[in-house]
Amino acid sequence: MATEARAVRLGSAVRRGVGQSVLLTLPMVVWSLLMFFHPGAATDRNSVIAAGVTMAFMVALFFLMMRTGNTYRWRRVFFVALGLLFPVGFIYQAIHFRGSMGIPMEEMIAGRTPFCFMPIPMLILPAALTRTVVFPGSIVGVGGMSGAGIAAMVGLWLALTLVLGRGWCSYACFFGGIEEGMASAPKKATIRKIDPRWRLGPWAVLLAMVLLSLALFEPAYCEWLCPFKAVSEYLAARNTVGLLQNALFVVLFAGLVVVLPLLTKKRTQCSCFCPFGAFQSIFNKTSVFDVRIDKERCKPCVACQTACPTMSLSKESIARGETLLSCTKCGACVDACPRGAMNWHVKGTEAAANPERARLLFLYAAWALAVMFGGSILAQGIRTILHFVL
Amino acid sequence: MGEALVLGLVSGPACIAACGPVLVPSLLTERAGLGAHARYLAAFLAARLMGYLVFAVVAWELGALVSLLRAPRMPLVGAVYVLLAGVLLWYAWAARRRCARACAGQALVQISENNIETKQAGGLAGAAALGLLTGLNLCPPFVAAGIRAAELGSLGAALLFFAAFFVGTSVWFFPFAGLSCVARSEAVTTVARMAMALIAVWYLAMGIAMLLGRRVYGY
Repeated sequence: MATEARAVRLGSAVRRGVGQSVLLTLPMVVWSLLMFFHPGAATDRNSVIAAGVTMAFMVALFFLMMRTGNTYRWRRVFFVALGLLFPVGFIYQAIHFRGSMGIPMEEMIAGRTPFCFMPIPMLILPAALTRTVVFPGSIVGVGGMSGAGIAAMVGLWLALTLVLGRGWCSYACFFGGIEEGMASAPKKATIRKIDPRWRLGPWAVLLAMVLLSLALFEPAYCEWLCPFKAVSEYLAARNTVGLLQNALFVVLFAGLVVVLPLLTKKRTQCSCFCPFGAFQSIFNKTSVFDVRIDKERCKPCVACQTACPTMSLSKESIARGETLLSCTKCGACVDACPRGAMNWHVKGTEAAANPERARLLFLYAAWALAVMFGGSILAQGIRTILHFVL
Repeated sequence: MGEALVLGLVSGPACIAACGPVLVPSLLTERAGLGAHARYLAAFLAARLMGYLVFAVVAWELGALVSLLRAPRMPLVGAVYVLLAGVLLWYAWAARRRCARACAGQALVQISENNIETKQAGGLAGAAALGLLTGLNLCPPFVAAGIRAAELGSLGAALLFFAAFFVGTSVWFFPFAGLSCVARSEAVTTVARMAMALIAVWYLAMGIAMLLGRRVYGY
């Protein structure tokens, strides 16, 4: 309570003094030290510099969140950096270990594919019905180029998802940053009216890909529709179908991750296409955190709806005082609201009872994930750059 | 008969996996209610049986080796895929309708205010077309049954074998009628229509590739 008493509330943002912000940032400093400099961490020069830079970056952003009261602005810096540095580290690793960005079919069959969280929803039905993992990565610890096995990845994802819900898509996903950067670039959206039915796109892609994966016993999304294959790894095309698949990856990346975000100022891939995002939305029901609208304070100016990069607010949902199921908890609406009506909320507590405390609780959980998961990816990207520069 | 029935029963999960991309979205666009879904499934399965029996005749007349060899199989599967794509696209277009009841999907998206049913989905003709085409689609259990049927002494025996095989696999399809519980909001219908269009595009691409004799994984 003392913390909030000293804090100054401006709109929805709570601005704090330097000392108070430093104190609130200390737990994240300790967590970052554990993540980046734990016993057994690489000790070569490039790795140490990369870990130090990443730690400073993550801690500084958290401090700024505490100091300014803004969430979205600083989270976006991290998220865009994550989106840009992931391909740097990943492509280098692919070329270093495999000699190419292309995956030959025999490599996939041998289970030497780095595991990605995207096909998790498509693994469940085939695994339940046939005890078969249709993703071609190995289930044991040594599987995949990254060394992380499917079981470890699924376990990690599940634990974090139960707490954060679709917050995963704003604090951990290494794909969304590029389009968030693109969406932030223009001052105004060229396309402002988007048919609300496009919000159902991710569910349609999810349904289609789950059914096709089950029918083909192949990860259909990875083989046909993943836009991020264009900046990570592609199928080593040896026939017309392979060429078609790679062409689709490039077209989808160009359209959904570059052109449409520039035109709409929205994360179009995340909000209209990503099947993992749809699946992740379900866990917004289990997550203890959500964003609520204080209907007494709200004058429906729709600033929140305009600011939301994932189209997770509609006039109807604002009238109900809540976001849509697809909310990624990025904080854009909370920061944009001029009347402080958008608030972080812990389920089971009174709405708007203590929004800043709810924000702090959420941010500690979300940023801990960001440091652990995204931080390691950032460090790998920086290490790769250092490898070429130093 | 017993062998065919058991073969059908044990390979049923593979059958529903193969038919899932066609059956699930088309059922989700149907009018809500157990009766409507049961009628749809009956039409789908009856047409599927017809497909099975047609194939039984071909398998017996030509011999399993001729009908199941890769070279003659590719154009057949390709043609079935192209036709499936066509029917699915038509179905997705025809299923323009609105909520018959209050939309349960408002946590996802609110599309329209008026809950008026304006148009029915593909109906029994659509179900029958999809059932026939999936019946002719050569999924692995179907190929196994085809080989066994071709070894039998008479056409009648081959037909009976396929009929019993059909009964065995059909048991696995009955739970799909339960989809009527969720197929009542406009959001679900829209998702199903979009998914159907996406699946249709996949079938079309694969079908054309097969008809052109291009190499496709798994075939």
